[in-house]
Amino acid sequence: MKMLVLNSFEDLFETVFERRVYLFELLVQHFVLSLTAVILIVVIGVGIGISLLRYRGIRQVVLGIVNFLYTIPSIAMFGLFIPLVGIGFVNALVVLVIYGLLPMIRSTYTGLSEVNPHLIDAAKGMGATPSQVFFRVRWPLGFPTILSGFRTMVVMTIALAGLASFIGAGGLGQAIYRGINTNNSNLILAGSISVALLALVTDIIIGFFEKLIRNKKFRASRYRRIILSAALFLLFIPVLLIVFNRERVKDSRTDVIVVATKPTSEQYILGEIISRLIESNTKLQVKRVFGIGGGTSNIHPGMLSGEIDIYPEYTGTAWLFVLKKKKISDPDSLFTSLQRMYNEEYGLTWVARFGFNNTYTLVLPEATAERDDIESISDLSSKSKQFTFGAEFDFFEREDGFHGLSELYSLKFNTLVELDINLKFNALENKTVDVINAFSTDSRIKQMNLRTLRDNKNYFSVYQAGIVVRQKTLEKYPELKKVLEKAGNTINDSTMTMLNYQVEILNKSPEEVAEAFLKSKGIIKQP
Amino acid sequence: MNDPLIQIKNISKTFEGGKLALDNVSLSVSQGGFITIIGPSGCGKTTLLRTINRMTDFDSGSMKIMDKEIALWDRPLLRRNIGYVIQNAGLFPHLTVRENIQFVMSISGMDKELREVRTLELAAMIEFNKAQLDEYPDNLSGGQQQRVGIARALTMKPQIVIMDEPLGSLDNITRRKLQAELKQIHADSGTTMLMVTHDLKEAFSLGTEVVIMNNGKILQKDKPEVILKQPADEWIREFVSAF
Repeated sequence: MKMLVLNSFEDLFETVFERRVYLFELLVQHFVLSLTAVILIVVIGVGIGISLLRYRGIRQVVLGIVNFLYTIPSIAMFGLFIPLVGIGFVNALVVLVIYGLLPMIRSTYTGLSEVNPHLIDAAKGMGATPSQVFFRVRWPLGFPTILSGFRTMVVMTIALAGLASFIGAGGLGQAIYRGINTNNSNLILAGSISVALLALVTDIIIGFFEKLIRNKKFRASRYRRIILSAALFLLFIPVLLIVFNRERVKDSRTDVIVVATKPTSEQYILGEIISRLIESNTKLQVKRVFGIGGGTSNIHPGMLSGEIDIYPEYTGTAWLFVLKKKKISDPDSLFTSLQRMYNEEYGLTWVARFGFNNTYTLVLPEATAERDDIESISDLSSKSKQFTFGAEFDFFEREDGFHGLSELYSLKFNTLVELDINLKFNALENKTVDVINAFSTDSRIKQMNLRTLRDNKNYFSVYQAGIVVRQKTLEKYPELKKVLEKAGNTINDSTMTMLNYQVEILNKSPEEVAEAFLKSKGIIKQP
Repeated sequence: MNDPLIQIKNISKTFEGGKLALDNVSLSVSQGGFITIIGPSGCGKTTLLRTINRMTDFDSGSMKIMDKEIALWDRPLLRRNIGYVIQNAGLFPHLTVRENIQFVMSISGMDKELREVRTLELAAMIEFNKAQLDEYPDNLSGGQQQRVGIARALTMKPQIVIMDEPLGSLDNITRRKLQAELKQIHADSGTTMLMVTHDLKEAFSLGTEVVIMNNGKILQKDKPEVILKQPADEWIREFVSAF
């Protein structure tokens, strides 16, 4: 990860103010997701807790299962449910419910089972029926324990909902996640503080009601029921809104295109470019599920199942990682083969390539390159003796890494330095090393005014970015193909680097960067 | 009305684990009596008491309550017709004194105004003022709590009240006071009372009849003075000698 720069509070407030619509939307999503989960958890958890009381025999088994589920790391759990329920709201909901069940079941069971047996006996002995014993004695006496479990569960759910953005379910975690992926510390802070505030405020509200319920004067008040009902009703308003909203989305669902991206600045920008293209050239609505955790491994299945219609992908990733084929050096024949295989195997179409190649390259300061007249890696080989080379551990180890590279180009560096991947640019800046490896569209190439060397012997695999679309989507909306093709060959390496720079270094939002780019190219009209 | 209110014939009860709690017990209780049941711990006195409101079912034998076979009584209905007082009062901590007293009336669906009238009668009996009715049990002394417990058992004006060591955990002074009050309540209400106790003095001073139990059997049932004068066997003589 890149170094985070902590900015002043003013900067932070500015970010919050600028992105207020975005953040508010995320807050609503977060709230809705958490609330829906909490309601389900209460219904299921309290239900199970009560049945455990009745069927004590299954208690160990049920608590064992719930305990086990609780220990599964949440990220893994999200991934686990993708094949079953896909990505998005339902997936996040299922995971949140599973985690919330443990505290809810536990506190319900404990609260109800630890009621003084003499009191149960007294109630029975006075002629209370089983349901009267439960509702008049057991439940009210166990309630404080249940309520404290409920409180823990709610705060936990709100915090955990921060991970929902990982599988495209939105929420405030999206701001955090996007902030991390686009090197925007203000966005990270804004997201984190919002989640914390939401949890805190909710906790305070529940605490207030807890006190109110325990308050003897309030309990004696005849308005008690009215006040509690009103509070409950207020809580349900958002739920009703959402149900209504979801219905609306469902109705128009036929005209919604789902665009997904991996969690990198570059992908956010490309996703935004694709989305804006569709929105301004067709009548289709775009649903953005950007920054899917796990990248290709989670997006590709979503494409196959039809949950996602479009996403930007790199040719090398598709060829080597998805199809698991041997390297092809020529970009065009790679693309042709890829188009054919994707069509046949997956029913997916590669519509266009943006034009840039985001692969490994070697970089050095522009001044040095100028002085020694170095443009390609071949140019470097004769001068390599005077240079120190730095790269992360991984680059020295991987099959397509340093070893083969130095052999092919007969590079003989003065010294080799193994560096942390986050620190290699710093090392280059303070001249600890002279040449490092980098991805060809890295924003710091622009920031530090570095020169990228041409891989004239095609050593590194080609990772050209392109647009992958489901064939079924193309058949349904034939107009899409022409629209998307407009993005073809519009972005070269340095343009992409520039766009990344604007997001990662200048902290502009991917939306505005994409929009400005499309306008400057005349692809969408100026307003 | 000469038929006994409670007629127990040859009942036995063995608990899971094989402990014989009641061994062929017979007992008949007629209206208006104050029966005290006494015996060493584990003698079966509490079990016997609990068979009367079907909190415990016996294995063999027969029992009639108010002229009706006990098995024919609907459990909740039977229990609402028998006042039940337990040790430490067993008041519900989440309910006020008023709500505790009204518990049986409320689960029976009695009219609110009638409930309130009856509550005030009972409050007067145990000398509670209106403000005290809104207190929660935690704020009451042990003696006050048990007074409420007794009042709670009397709400439905039951013909029978059973009490399981009701004064067992009170200090001596409070205990003597409550014994006197109980005697008065019994005299005023004419309710038939059965009380399990481990206190000889209590058993003999309150009981119109005393039942002596040991090892799941009733050894003797008689007026207190008769037992003291003519104990049925040596064990009883020994047992009551402390009085």
